[in-house]
Amino acid sequence: MDKKIEIIVNARTTDEAAKVVLEKAIEEGIETVWDRLEAQQPQCGFGQLGMCCNRCAMGPCRISPFDDAGPTRGVCGADVDLIAARNLLDDLLVGAASHSDHGREVVEVFLETAEGKSQGYKILDETKLNAIADEYGIDTKGKSKEAVAKEVALAIFEEFGTVKNSIQFAESRPPEKTKETWKKAGIVPRSVDREIVEAAHRVHMGVDSDYVNILLHALRTSLSDGWGGSMMATDISDVLFGTPKPVSSYVNLGVLKPDMVNIVLHGHNPVLSEMVVKASREKDLVDYAKKMGAKGINLVGMCCTGNEVLMRQGVPIAGNMLNQELAIATGAVEVMLIDYQCIFPSITKTAGCYHTKVVSTSEKAKFPGAIHKEFHPGNAFDTAKEIVKLAVENFPNRNPDRVKIPNNPMKLMAGFSVEAITSALGGTLQPLIDVIASGKIRGAAGIVGCNNPKIKQDYNHIVLTKELIKRNILVLETGCAAIASGKAGLLVPEAAELAGDGLKEVAQSLGIPPVLHMGSCVDCSRILVIAAKLAKALNVGIADLPIAGAAPEWYSQKAISIGAYFVASGVYTVLGLPPKIFGSPNVVQLLTEGVEGVVGGKFAVEPDPVRQAELMAAHIEKKRKALGI
Amino acid sequence: MKTVFVHPERCIGCRHCEMACAIEHSKSQDLFGMLFETPRSKPRIHVELGIDFMTFPNRCRHCDPAPCMQVCPTGALHRDVETGSVLVNYSTCIGCAMCAMVCPFDIISFNKVWSIQLDHEVNTKCDHCIDRQQAGNIPACVEACKTGALEFGDANTIIRSSRKDFTVRTTLALKGEEAPSLPPNIEAFRDIMAKVSQFGTLG
Ligand code: SF4
Ligand code: SF4
Ligand code: SF4
Ligand code: SF4
Repeated sequence: MDKKIEIIVNARTTDEAAKVVLEKAIEEGIETVWDRLEAQQPQCGFGQLGMCCNRCAMGPCRISPFDDAGPTRGVCGADVDLIAARNLLDDLLVGAASHSDHGREVVEVFLETAEGKSQGYKILDETKLNAIADEYGIDTKGKSKEAVAKEVALAIFEEFGTVKNSIQFAESRPPEKTKETWKKAGIVPRSVDREIVEAAHRVHMGVDSDYVNILLHALRTSLSDGWGGSMMATDISDVLFGTPKPVSSYVNLGVLKPDMVNIVLHGHNPVLSEMVVKASREKDLVDYAKKMGAKGINLVGMCCTGNEVLMRQGVPIAGNMLNQELAIATGAVEVMLIDYQCIFPSITKTAGCYHTKVVSTSEKAKFPGAIHKEFHPGNAFDTAKEIVKLAVENFPNRNPDRVKIPNNPMKLMAGFSVEAITSALGGTLQPLIDVIASGKIRGAAGIVGCNNPKIKQDYNHIVLTKELIKRNILVLETGCAAIASGKAGLLVPEAAELAGDGLKEVAQSLGIPPVLHMGSCVDCSRILVIAAKLAKALNVGIADLPIAGAAPEWYSQKAISIGAYFVASGVYTVLGLPPKIFGSPNVVQLLTEGVEGVVGGKFAVEPDPVRQAELMAAHIEKKRKALGI
Repeated sequence: MKTVFVHPERCIGCRHCEMACAIEHSKSQDLFGMLFETPRSKPRIHVELGIDFMTFPNRCRHCDPAPCMQVCPTGALHRDVETGSVLVNYSTCIGCAMCAMVCPFDIISFNKVWSIQLDHEVNTKCDHCIDRQQAGNIPACVEACKTGALEFGDANTIIRSSRKDFTVRTTLALKGEEAPSLPPNIEAFRDIMAKVSQFGTLG
């Protein structure tokens, strides 16, 4: 590699497969996210500090960070505490809405499937369906699964609105003590949509003007996501497509195949991609691909749509957020199918440099330059087949001279739903509790969240994960964090070698990796569920458990909501990049200290991954001591 | 001597100063009007990233004697005696860039200007907002800076108050007391960003 390019590539990513393609992209003059980050420097300090408000037409306003110079209030009179808190709530509500709208769409497909109106979908997990029906107090006796499904779907829809004003999962799943703290703080979530809409109302000029009250509502909104919208997305996806079980597959850009039609499934919602998986296995389409000179059809995932189809179908996954442009830059992608969230708006421009066609599928997420094939449950399978056909027909347009696919896809194991973990343990979580109590495993850590080009890709994820398992802390991962561990070879049973003696022994005896891939970002709800189960078994609150969370490379508003619902549920959560609040010492104080007295969890901000691990381990030890173990 | 004094520790990289400078030197002197002009007005103050995500607003210091003036072969650079500003005569600038080579602060850039029809680019360095100064106003960048990173006034007066500050901090330190030069939250943020720069590609 050219020395200069090598330096750039090594500064941008730790993903060895990505390096190979990034070099090619640089040589070919393809613009990537890192170039755009560089072009954006310096980025506005008012924005980074959360000290600007662009909410109304009296503004935009900004507050000076130095009290001896510049304005201290916006035109309306808002001070820096209010502006920072309002901005944070605004970001958080967008994140919560993203998860919840995704959840709603899954439930819509579920309802149409129950009514026999969808195409290609079946109810796959009846056991889980019945368990959820039970939770909702729906009588299942003598009813067809479709009839039960319809009642469940309607009951869930009720919780999006405000007629019922409570969320079942937030009532039946958390431990009593955790629910008590919510009640005392007045942050029990009332409905999925209500909290989000109310949040949007509160940030209007002249509505909520007390930063403490705003931050409390932020916690409530996040709970309506974690124990509401996200959890519904997870559970109903399981009912429709099957609850994940441990599955082996491959990860990194090397999963693309030089002699096959490559389709990348990118975004977050599995509803259409599940159908594309089905379509790609149809004999006539496979034959068609062969006729076009390919050996077959190769589906690969990207980001969380990738996680969803990896967990349930074993579809290999090409990478996480910062790999999306590089997948196209391999020159070997016929179609990148996108649904929504975390898709670079410039992705069609990247695709324009190759033969790749970008196919958008959601009415609410159109991308100029993409081919739009709109998804509807009623025509899902036909649409899926059309998209696969389009990819096959694009294969002859590939220029083999511009193809470069890295060699060594990494093996990984995914699919650790709570159900799968429980069954690996022999049907109950007791063995996990026992090894935690005995100290073989010190506790558990949830590592979640995105990539952010401000951090060398995957570096913080990997260093933190390795540091934690070394300290005998079991790591549960979702989203881009899980994909990062996959690429680094941490999601295979052999990785137990890197763990401390206790965790190593436990992982080896169960034949599982020391780091468990639990799914996509909505599946952070699975982490809540397992934490709740552990707390209930021990008769304590989630805040009493020896657990911690981290989002070491987060970038998105969804991550703010996830972080907040972890904290609101009682989890100590470390962020690797500062949220936009440092302009307000009061907001920082409340979120990193004060909030602990209210909900038991709190945030910390620490970019150094070794330090992150130390903080989390210290917290876990503190909780162990309090539990007397 | 009146000058624009820079307090770099206060610069947060918002680039308000750049925007205000571009507007001031546009034909319409209006944000929205500026966007429709050709050639488009460009900032004459430059806020760029240093290390650890820190920034520095760099602009002409209006040196005296000015190295740029001394080497300009056409005499395009001259001084306004009343304000001490080093100014460019666009019609005689030949774009040779001698000035840019000797400028100790590397702040000279070359652009087309709206005020005179020319095929070539000329030295469009900071003119100290001479029009504004003559009208009794302070330079546009200083007015726009809300953090106090840019201060306009008599150099000795500004330095005297900074010096007083320094003296207080030093004597406090001698007493073993800490007197932060920045608010603690800003200091905390800077520390975090310095760490982020260790694990990332920038700054
Ligand atoms: S809401 Fe207040 S602080 Fe925000 S832009 Fe309007 S006037 Fe300024
Ligand atoms: S306006 Fe002030 S704080 Fe903003 S970039 Fe310019 S000098 Fe720095
Ligand atoms: S252009 Fe450079 S050398 Fe000339 S007066 Fe300005 S700072 Fe000094
Ligand atoms: S570029 Fe223009 S101002 Fe600079 S030295 Fe040459 S003639 Fe003089």
